[in-house]
Amino acid sequence: MEIINLEGTEDTPKILLDKGNGIFEISGRSLPEDSAEFYQPILDWIAAYGEDPNPETLFTFKLEYFNTASSKLILDVLSALEDIDGVTIDWYFHEDDEDMEEAGEEFSELVEIPFEFKTY
Amino acid sequence: MSEEILKALTQLFGIITKQDGGATEKERNFVIGFFQQELDQDSIKEYLELYDKLVGWGEEPEKEEEDGKAKKKKLTSVRDSVRTLAICKKINKTLTQKQKVVVLIKLLEMVSSDKNFTPQRMEIIDTVSNVFNIVKDEFKLIESFVTKTKSSDLEEFEDILSVNNDTPIEDNLHVHADIDGEILFLNVRSVDMYFVKYTGSEEINLNGFIMKTDGVYLFSHGSTIKTPKGAALYYSELIRKFLSDGEQVNLSFNAEDIVLQFPNGELGLRNVNVFEGPGELVGIMGASGAGKTTLLNVLAGIQAPTSGHIKINGLDLNQDQDELQGIIGYVSQDDLLIEELTVYQNLYYNAKLCFAKMTEEEIHKRVMDTLENLGLEARKDLRVGGVLDKTISGGQRKRLNIALELIREPAVMFVDEPTSGLSSRDSENVIDLLKELTLKGKLIFVVIHQPSSDIYKMFDKMIIMDTGGYQIFYGHPVEAVTYFKKTTNQVDADRGVCPTCGNVNPEQIFNIVEAKVVDEYGQLTNKRKINPSQWRDFYLESFDHKPVKDEEEAPPSTLAIPNKLKQTVIFTIRDTLSKLSNKQYLLINLLEAPFLALLLAFIIKYRSAPSGEEYIFRFNDNLPAFLLMSIIVALFMGLTVSAEEIIRDRKILKRESFLNLSWNSYLLSKITILFTLSAIQTLTYVIIGVLVLEIRDATFSMWAILFTTSCFANVLGLNVSAAFKSAVTVYILIPLLLIPQMILSGLLFSFDKLNDFISTKGKVPIVADLMTSRWAYEALAVDMFKNNTYQEFFFDIESDEKTADFKSSFMTKKIREKLRVIENNLGSDKEQAEQEIEYATRVIFNALEKEPFKGSLEGEDLKEILDPEKINQEKINKISSYTDQLRDHYLKKFNLAIKKKETLQFLMENDSSYQFDLNEAKDKYYNESLADLVRNLTVEDRVIEFKGELIQQIDPVFNKPKEPDNLLNYRTHFFAPEKYFAGAYIDTFYFNIIVIWFMSLILYITLYFELFGKAISFFGNIKLKKKES
Repeated sequence: MEIINLEGTEDTPKILLDKGNGIFEISGRSLPEDSAEFYQPILDWIAAYGEDPNPETLFTFKLEYFNTASSKLILDVLSALEDIDGVTIDWYFHEDDEDMEEAGEEFSELVEIPFEFKTY
Repeated sequence: MSEEILKALTQLFGIITKQDGGATEKERNFVIGFFQQELDQDSIKEYLELYDKLVGWGEEPEKEEEDGKAKKKKLTSVRDSVRTLAICKKINKTLTQKQKVVVLIKLLEMVSSDKNFTPQRMEIIDTVSNVFNIVKDEFKLIESFVTKTKSSDLEEFEDILSVNNDTPIEDNLHVHADIDGEILFLNVRSVDMYFVKYTGSEEINLNGFIMKTDGVYLFSHGSTIKTPKGAALYYSELIRKFLSDGEQVNLSFNAEDIVLQFPNGELGLRNVNVFEGPGELVGIMGASGAGKTTLLNVLAGIQAPTSGHIKINGLDLNQDQDELQGIIGYVSQDDLLIEELTVYQNLYYNAKLCFAKMTEEEIHKRVMDTLENLGLEARKDLRVGGVLDKTISGGQRKRLNIALELIREPAVMFVDEPTSGLSSRDSENVIDLLKELTLKGKLIFVVIHQPSSDIYKMFDKMIIMDTGGYQIFYGHPVEAVTYFKKTTNQVDADRGVCPTCGNVNPEQIFNIVEAKVVDEYGQLTNKRKINPSQWRDFYLESFDHKPVKDEEEAPPSTLAIPNKLKQTVIFTIRDTLSKLSNKQYLLINLLEAPFLALLLAFIIKYRSAPSGEEYIFRFNDNLPAFLLMSIIVALFMGLTVSAEEIIRDRKILKRESFLNLSWNSYLLSKITILFTLSAIQTLTYVIIGVLVLEIRDATFSMWAILFTTSCFANVLGLNVSAAFKSAVTVYILIPLLLIPQMILSGLLFSFDKLNDFISTKGKVPIVADLMTSRWAYEALAVDMFKNNTYQEFFFDIESDEKTADFKSSFMTKKIREKLRVIENNLGSDKEQAEQEIEYATRVIFNALEKEPFKGSLEGEDLKEILDPEKINQEKINKISSYTDQLRDHYLKKFNLAIKKKETLQFLMENDSSYQFDLNEAKDKYYNESLADLVRNLTVEDRVIEFKGELIQQIDPVFNKPKEPDNLLNYRTHFFAPEKYFAGAYIDTFYFNIIVIWFMSLILYITLYFELFGKAISFFGNIKLKKKES
């Protein structure tokens, strides 16, 4: 499977999806102009990955900020992962950032995937 | 709205308004206004607190000290984003799409209350709509509708309609009205909802409430908007504007000055006017006996009005039936379903009769589509069932009834009380369905009784009738309430709708219309405050309806009925299927015949041999009676099986009368089925009877006669069934039809011993000739006697023998007797003597006239010899000597026949190739009792005189009738072996069968023209008129 490796910018997150090395990470700031368009390749990639996933998938979210539209797409990403066996989410938040912690908790209630909360 | 959802909404309000500078006073007021609508006073406080806490109302706005922090504050917090998602997900689980649209509109409305459309707020709302699965384009449409205030900003959208002052009247999409600002309508197609808002500052009334400027309101079924100056805007009219891009239906329906007078002279309808275009749902209401159903029937063309015309697209409903074929659909109050068939079959065969040009698949598809539209697809294989064994619910039955009409898409439909007996939910579904049809351009008239508020509001027009056929209102339903209130000066007359719940109370109308005068004791009297004719005068003063413009083209019709043969086939299949699924009917009809045969044959089979030890066919004395019973059974079965046929189908026929199907095809299908059934019944009967009673050589002929008889009874039964209205009458009538058949069958009472009034000696009386039983019995008895393995060898010889015997001994004896009378009276001039001579010569003349043996009278004029005026001894001698010759001639013939018979018997018994035992053959094939009957051996006088004729009483079966003077004169004695008709001798068996079939044919013709029914109603009318005078 090809690797998705997007460098982050001021408005878009850094994304690295590498099945071979077992690295799945979304980090940085997410407020793209058209979030649906931005996340579509990611969702497609996860759908393809879901056909033949690794036995265990550790998906890392290490976000500083995301806007409302992105939140819907992050939920879509999480929902897509929900259908794959052996997925765990690592939700990183800055120790001062209560908002991000609570956002993670809210997400964990919306999908049925084990969440691990970690600070950085 | 549940507490949970309300909480969720409050949170959404909070999250949205706290963005970008927090809530403003206006926004907060909007939220309070929303709470006031949804909540009681105490709860408002609670929810408002929740809201205030969320948005931080009343807190000091945080000071923006640092640049960086300020920038951060501008962004929506991630927590709020995710919470929004969580709330929307929750809402998704409980609310319908329609409700979600309403929620979305509320959110947009709140934001636009202060026109504070910041990107972050809009982003949240956009995300909400996204999670709600509202299509992007539709969201954009809704957003623009709520946030923008001018139609000029909204021109890109087709689903927004504006009503304002500037629009030219001709404009297609927008509507002209004399108002300040605009009334904007929005159609959200995916959920089929309409919203309205008003941007001006005048008092615009929506269902009796003043609309707030820029407030968005749901525009539900039956809503009305009233402007201060202009006329009212009705839901249906506006909806049609939205749907105007759909196919246009050209339809005009004008019923002008309709008057109907009942046969007893009373007026059923007085100058009723109905003028309608396409796409209207018109209700007809009124007290019982006001003529609602009468009006419906007249408008539908079932009953012709006494005066006035009903014109559809300029064509007269009662005259131009051909052009209007298939335009009208009528759903009666009764179930018009074939109970034995399944839901699918009911619709399928109906469709087959309507669409000759469609292929099997197309028809199937159409049926399935219709079932789906009416929510009946899951029930399609259930039997419809009767009133007592219901398998589908009342609402489903009603919908199926409508479906039967709907499937061919008539342009005008008439529905009689579709909601009676239905639950309120079912009623609403049915009216919803009709409403939907009107939106497709159909014109539908509905007689409605006690409608609920929601149903009442769904109508576009309402016709209100009052006792005696007065039309007292015709117009918009909600207006009816205000009209009647105003006319009687009631308070609050402008409000047709309840100000708190939006309900209309149609009962109110009748309370006003039928209000009674109160007497001085405060008791209600029977006198009405305003009588029907006064109401009508008020109506005429207040309203002036004009006919709509007649459309030029004939209205569209999808009807294409199949040719008559195909109709017969479809009718037959449908009827057969319905009979097959009725197990009881099938079982009884198929077992009846063999059971009766068994019973009858078993009872009458006894040890008939002279020794009393065994059963021998030859000595069974009961055979003649058995034959008669068989005929009665055939008649009875044929009658009972057919007598209810048409009565049972009456209602279905009524429905199908709008299709102009062929009556002939229908009858032929009935006859096909009934004849088949008769064939089976009589066959089983004959087989059992023949086997038990050991009747040989007669199976086929017996079946042929019984089948013929049963078929005749079938057609007779159908006649009765077509003529009378109830099955009970028909069954009472059956004995009346059967008993004369028994009396005049020829077996129970001899035709020679009947009342002089009807009997003719030596011939079958004419009344008996009308009886099938007489023809069938004669055919059966004669054929059974003549054509069997014993008698067929000897019949011709015996025929010669008996004829010769009769002539040589009895006839000549009579002639001599008469000659002696002449001799004795010769020369006397007494009047009595002359009369006796005259009579005697006539008898002799008649007896000898057709005698083939001439002898010494060869070349003489018999008439001249037997002239009573000129008769003398010489002439008497001449006849006397001829009589001797005659006697000798026939004696010789008689001896010859005897000899022949004996030789034949001897030959057959002794020739080994025949293997014939005379006695055995006689035991097996010959029945003494039957022979006695057809040979009339019990008669006292072998020859009698009747009106100057010598009539042979004995051996009728050997007495071949003489050629009559008239070719068409078929009349002869009973049990004649052959019949003379139209110049030829025909075997009695065939002749009689032909006669019965001919009678059946005549009855078919009377059935086709329904002559009996017409006669009965003719006599019924005469009676009525007498009563009146």
